[in-house]
Amino acid sequence: MSKPKVATDWLCGCAGCHMSLLDIDERILQVVELVDLRATPITDLKEPDKDGVTVGILEGGINNTYNEEVAKRMRERCKILVALGDCAVFGGVPAMRNFCGVDAALKRAYIDTESTDSEGIIPSDPELATMTRVRAVHEVVPVDLHIPGCPPDADVIFYALAELAQGRIPDIKGEKLHWH
Amino acid sequence: MIKLTIDGKPVEVQDGTTVLEAAEAADVFVPTLCHHPQLTPYGGCRLCMVEVEGARTLQPSCTLPATDGMVVTTTSEKVLKARKFVLTLIFSERNHFCMYCQVSGGDCELQNRAYDEGMTHWDLQPNWQPYEVDASHPFMVLDNNRCILCRRCVRACGELVGNDTLGFEERGANSFLVADYDVPLGESTCISCGTCVQICPTGALIDRQSAYQGKETDVEHHVGVCTECSVGCTRDVLTRDNRLVRIEGEWAAPLNQGLLCEYGRFLPLEDERARLLTPLVRKDGSLKAATWDEAIEAAAEGLGKGRGLAALASTRLPAEDLAVFKSLFADKLDAEIVTSLEEGAATASLAALAEKLGKPFESSLDVLKDTDAVLSLELDLVDEHQVAGFFVKRQIQDGTKLFVAGEKDNALAEKAKALLTLKPGEEAAFLEMLLIALENGAEDVALTKAIEALKSAEKPVIVYGETFAANADEKTLETLLKVADKLDAALVGVKGQANSMAAAQLGLEAPFKANGYKSAVVALGDEAPSQRLVKALEEVPFVVAMAAYGSQITGNANVVLPVTMWAEQSGSYLSLDGRLQTAEKALDAPDGVLTSLETLLKVAEAMSVEPNQDWKTSLMDRVPTVEIQEA
Amino acid sequence: MKAIRSMVLVSGDQDSLDHGAMDVFTTLQQQLSEFGLEEEISVSMVSDVSKPGLDPMVLVYPDAVIYGPVKPEDVHNIVEEHLYKGRVVATKQVSPYDLTGRVAWLSARKGTLPAENRIVLKNVGLIDPESIDDYIINEGYEALGQVLKEMTPEETIAEIKASGLRGRGGAGFPTGLKWQFVSGAKGEKKYVICNADESEPGTFKDRLVLEGDPHAIIEAMMIAAYAVGANEGYVYIRGEYGLAISRMKKAIEQAKAYGLLGEDIFGTGFDFELHIHAGAGAYICGEETALIESIEGNRGEPRPRPPYPTNAGLWQKPTLVNNVETLANIPAIIRNGAAWYKAIGTPSSPGTKVYTILGNVNVTGLIEVPMGITLREVIAIYSKGMKNGATFKLAQTGGSSGSIIPASLQDTPMDFDSFSKAGVSLGSGALLICNEDVCVVDLAKVLLNFFQSESCGKCNPCRIGNKRSFETLSNISEGVGTLQDLEDLQMLSDQLYQLSNCGLGQTAGSPLRDILAHFRAEVEAHIKLKVCPAGVCPMSGQRAYQID
Repeated sequence: MSKPKVATDWLCGCAGCHMSLLDIDERILQVVELVDLRATPITDLKEPDKDGVTVGILEGGINNTYNEEVAKRMRERCKILVALGDCAVFGGVPAMRNFCGVDAALKRAYIDTESTDSEGIIPSDPELATMTRVRAVHEVVPVDLHIPGCPPDADVIFYALAELAQGRIPDIKGEKLHWH
Repeated sequence: MIKLTIDGKPVEVQDGTTVLEAAEAADVFVPTLCHHPQLTPYGGCRLCMVEVEGARTLQPSCTLPATDGMVVTTTSEKVLKARKFVLTLIFSERNHFCMYCQVSGGDCELQNRAYDEGMTHWDLQPNWQPYEVDASHPFMVLDNNRCILCRRCVRACGELVGNDTLGFEERGANSFLVADYDVPLGESTCISCGTCVQICPTGALIDRQSAYQGKETDVEHHVGVCTECSVGCTRDVLTRDNRLVRIEGEWAAPLNQGLLCEYGRFLPLEDERARLLTPLVRKDGSLKAATWDEAIEAAAEGLGKGRGLAALASTRLPAEDLAVFKSLFADKLDAEIVTSLEEGAATASLAALAEKLGKPFESSLDVLKDTDAVLSLELDLVDEHQVAGFFVKRQIQDGTKLFVAGEKDNALAEKAKALLTLKPGEEAAFLEMLLIALENGAEDVALTKAIEALKSAEKPVIVYGETFAANADEKTLETLLKVADKLDAALVGVKGQANSMAAAQLGLEAPFKANGYKSAVVALGDEAPSQRLVKALEEVPFVVAMAAYGSQITGNANVVLPVTMWAEQSGSYLSLDGRLQTAEKALDAPDGVLTSLETLLKVAEAMSVEPNQDWKTSLMDRVPTVEIQEA
Repeated sequence: MKAIRSMVLVSGDQDSLDHGAMDVFTTLQQQLSEFGLEEEISVSMVSDVSKPGLDPMVLVYPDAVIYGPVKPEDVHNIVEEHLYKGRVVATKQVSPYDLTGRVAWLSARKGTLPAENRIVLKNVGLIDPESIDDYIINEGYEALGQVLKEMTPEETIAEIKASGLRGRGGAGFPTGLKWQFVSGAKGEKKYVICNADESEPGTFKDRLVLEGDPHAIIEAMMIAAYAVGANEGYVYIRGEYGLAISRMKKAIEQAKAYGLLGEDIFGTGFDFELHIHAGAGAYICGEETALIESIEGNRGEPRPRPPYPTNAGLWQKPTLVNNVETLANIPAIIRNGAAWYKAIGTPSSPGTKVYTILGNVNVTGLIEVPMGITLREVIAIYSKGMKNGATFKLAQTGGSSGSIIPASLQDTPMDFDSFSKAGVSLGSGALLICNEDVCVVDLAKVLLNFFQSESCGKCNPCRIGNKRSFETLSNISEGVGTLQDLEDLQMLSDQLYQLSNCGLGQTAGSPLRDILAHFRAEVEAHIKLKVCPAGVCPMSGQRAYQID
């Protein structure tokens, strides 16, 4: 039996959940023994295999049309989709912008910021993705497993990966469950 | 007795027990949010729903009375599904983003309940409508984004404190927590007792002093007694890294049951007076830093013994300290006068009466919690001894009739059925009039109303304050006893500061007047001295001040001995109704600062005397006005 | 009482009198005898049915034709053409729409009256509601006298129990049993409350009873009070019902003046004091425990149950709360006996039911018919069929406890048990009859919008659940719904029923349940095909309730 393939990607987050993944330290060797680590932001391969992976992991919420695409592609190409971290699960810190709306947030960031000169302009290149309300991943595509935490503990990530690698859905509860 | 089964466990409870209480008795955990043991069950959050055999729908265990033969299930799939549904709805209603909330990580009941149910995410997202945060209040912040509309604060404000500041406007999905008629909290009728903050299950009401500074997991608890007045509320002092973080009421406390007032909860953390950290001795006209040995030596030398020596102690000091103070200066050093800074104003005449009667005549404060008519004599329980005032205020909506005798500017009078005019100095005449009216009726409308209500009451209480006690002579008090006897009313004497009653028991009650004293020792502890005291001590050539904070007195003193403040010492306090309680030390004192007790013992040693340290016996030596009970 | 063929009423209020009503009245009497009709047609004066510009008015029953303004010289023509020859004088006829709320409901009902069976509405529109004498002449206060003088409280309760009367507020609880509970509850002081906070959408039956026959409610409350051992009562009237409140006030004053209300009534030692409490616009105060809270001066929020009001109601005293329509049956039951009442309607739901008919039918308004008739009969006979010959799609039975009745149930007898068996409910007695131009998603949305704004906000499922249901329905009607939404709606409906504190929340989800059970294909069309089959929903593809 071949090893299950795992792909990850990050959306509107801070990369902290991937850092926490790396915090499993030497246990990553055990993970690599159990799974075939494919496309991730920290490996060379950047897109999940066209012929599909077993587990897809997304960090971060969905804040623009590009993130939507990435999330949908991951959903299409994986069997089990995991939302990793508070941003993927709830929207997280970026979701604070939902309280004021995209326009006000852009204005604050590109025009009103103290470090911006009087010429401040909001980027409007047509190549840029359109910004949206920040959403949890499960608002856009169905999610099979939520692992909240800001970031989730390395131990929890290791536990979840180990379970998934062995074909089980991890049970995130008790000590393993926290949202902050 | 009622016998029922909860999750297969048989349990037997008293009639009138709710299913939730029965579950607790059976050691079955049922999650709750809107429920609080000090409040009337409400049944709003619907988290405590259980399955009852034969019932059409799930039932709220918090309001459902247990009945004989009931079969209750708390863990069926139906129940678990309902719990998750309720939590999902709550999370979706406002903006519960745990990562930005100060109570996240153990202090939030909502989050804890979600963890219990293994919720990894919310099926319904929040509505993203932001609500303005109300930070207008000096001590607390109201954030409606985090409100779960459980009404615990509203019910506490009404049911426990009787202030009714918090309420709900609108209905349905527009229901909204507001102060008064939707004014900023800081401009409302809020009296800053902080009960709402303490009872809030989420981060909707937080206190500014401790916000983001100490989660439950970071702090240490020290159960103690509030030293701000003589009610003697039990309070919990929270510290972190030897710093005060927050003060909370003890829900389990028999008297105050979680309540505190502004003075007990918030103001102690606002103390900005300059702390004294080293002994000072006056040399060549100015105070200079000295070692403890030098300062004690200078104090012992300057104070002398016998006539000409005056000794004054704060009634905020622990009973242990007061007893040693009394023994040292009165018994060992024969000081001309040994008294408290209150000079017995609130206690002397009452103590004399108790001695004459040979037995206590006052009652416990608990009588104020369950009374149907109250007569208040020269006392404003809205302004002082506030927690005792809460007991009265909260019963008024249930029909307790309050009559206030005193001068017009009495805030309690606003809640009264009638205001009876009583000017200081006219106490005797007033009580005579009352006595006559009790027998023969009265012409005055207000008085008639009061007399009738008190007469027909089942549990009337007469409560009086310091002004009354200070002005009442023996005859007046005897008339008071007659009135109380006629009405079968309980008497409650509201005294002065934390150990006012202890000082009375020790006989520290002589009036202090400038009398050509040669030396004086004043044990201020953490008390802020009155101008009258400052003036009186200016006449005394040699003054030793034992104080935690700098003041005019320490500035003028010849020797200043730096002592601990309330949180840095353990000690006992005798409340106005005779409850003897002990406070734990919450903070380590700064280096070079000693407790007042240690300081007194050092002085004694320097003067080669040994004061009696058996404080408890000294306290019991005198017939008290109210029975003393050790808590 | 002799049989008459027709009854003619002349408006006798001050305005009508100023405009010659008395002349019209005497001319009528004279003309009737000229035509030899005085034996078969009665003529009398009533007040307060006129309208400025139309008075004096002449009302002809059972034809329910209204004429106005009528001058003495018009009378001959009316008597000859209408009363003698049976031809309505169209030139003098008044449009029913000019007379909303009082007699207009009768005007279009020509010929249907005899089929009705009037107990609750016996006097409504026929007597002067501001005249206690009119009430007394029409058997008023007879039942009270009978109860106080000839019956014990136990016998009174037994009579009501035997009649099989069930509460008309929506739940259908046996009235006699409720009385027995209050009677048996411990306590010296007890209260009787008439729930007249009629606020269910589309329902106005109680208003017409209060406005048209207030003394019947007073009499019934006194009978109830005597039976359960109460001596104080409240009529809790919806605040918007200004006329009902003023009529009831007047009625209480009149009853007091006649010694029918107060102390030692009929010299029997029975005392009764009656207050009016006007609501302040909250639907939820129609829920009996919220109503009690409201009388006590608190926020109108339902209490937890148990304890039930029968044991601990107003001021924690045993309290009987009955709906207006329920009470209006009481005097008739006492006068005619339980057996008479039990013979009307169906065995398990005796008596009549007052329905307010609205919607896409030819005749709308109020009818009182025996329990157990079918929706098909109501539409065909009383409503004269669907408007423009349209096809009947569904009926909504009114209020939070009402149901959406599909056409497949139109032959189910309308009584408590038959409906309950079919999984639907009579609700408040409104019959909103809809043709196929009505979209079930839209209908449910309207209902849920009502519930979300009328929930008291106390319990989470109702406060938040109704809002979520409304938002989900809105999304479906905007064309952005998902199949997951259907599961969510089903869950919301189920959980609202399981978890809510009071009847509002428990039944607020029933429109969701009903449309999913009976009209699932239509709802799914909104989601799968992005089409509203009835062409009502906007289907704009824009989410109504999300910020993007």
